[in-house]
Amino acid sequence: MIRTPLSTTSVLDEAAEVVSLTASPWAALLMATALPYRFLQALFIDQLIEVHDSASSYGNLLGATANVIVITIVIALAGRAIYARACRLAAARGTAPGREAWRIRPAALACYILTASVTMLVGYVSLFTIVGYPIAVIFAGLAVGTVEMNERVSVTRPFAHIFRHAKTVAIPVALTMVFFCALFVALANLAAAASLATWLASAIGGFDAPNWQVLFSPGNRRYVLLLFAGALMIVEPFWIAANVIYVRKAGAEESGDDLRAWFDELRSDELRSDELRSDELRSDELRSDELRAGEELKEVPA
Amino acid sequence: MKCTKMLCQECATQWDGIWHCASCLGTARGATVERSPVFAWIGVVGLSLLFLYLGARVMVWTGAMIAGLF
Repeated sequence: MIRTPLSTTSVLDEAAEVVSLTASPWAALLMATALPYRFLQALFIDQLIEVHDSASSYGNLLGATANVIVITIVIALAGRAIYARACRLAAARGTAPGREAWRIRPAALACYILTASVTMLVGYVSLFTIVGYPIAVIFAGLAVGTVEMNERVSVTRPFAHIFRHAKTVAIPVALTMVFFCALFVALANLAAAASLATWLASAIGGFDAPNWQVLFSPGNRRYVLLLFAGALMIVEPFWIAANVIYVRKAGAEESGDDLRAWFDELRSDELRSDELRSDELRSDELRSDELRAGEELKEVPA
Repeated sequence: MKCTKMLCQECATQWDGIWHCASCLGTARGATVERSPVFAWIGVVGLSLLFLYLGARVMVWTGAMIAGLF
């Protein structure tokens, strides 16, 4: 149901609702499929920091890690596509989706892998530029938002869907900015939760708890990288849900579905107010009848 | 009409502003063959694999470049 006009706040508001409906098991599935990818990404960055200046001499090591990352990306993309479908079903019905969320069209998945691989390539190429990477992130968001629109397999149509929704660029840009900030909020929360868990675990004996304090500290590079990976995984369901809602609402605006929904809401409000009015009138009539009956009783001489 | 038959208006059907007889209309309808999606599948899968491969190469290249900067 399209409830409010298209705006960043309305998209975020409905996305939060959709995430709460799809949290179990679909958000968990999304995280499970993204876990190997994020873990290997952290490992890749760790390897880069480790080899530092002599990175060009470790081409085989980095290349092997990159190849495995690409395999895990395909798994993560499948998870994203299933989650996007779950979000769309939840937004359309207003209830948690069932097993039908698994039934993603092969054509939609294939088109999504194509668009995502292109945005990934563009993202890595434009990593040096300041503007290029966020643009690739915006397109990646629109790619996941338009997954379900690809009914037939095509090389050009998925990109046409993305570009059609990129015309009103303000909202996707605003969403990317919001989720960039949300990433740091998630990071801080995750770090606090990890510190709390370490502190609580130190109360239990039987293992090398003092060593944990060192391992789970900002001084440990691998720990910080894993925190970033965890923060990305926390934000990801909201990011996907927001993009699905944005595409859905933008499409509804184009097709006039939002107007139809608005008229339906107005009509239902009007019916409700008519019912209330008739109830009030009925209760007023009853009250006046009771008063009249009371007065008549008073008038009867004892 | 393609077949140039003489027909009354009741027996002819207008399609895209042109009057057709039943057999001509049937032929025209049969002529619209759905294109096989096999080539589209080959294209999408092939391009996806190519871009994923290039993505892995560029990931290493960019990573090595950035690691060398710091």
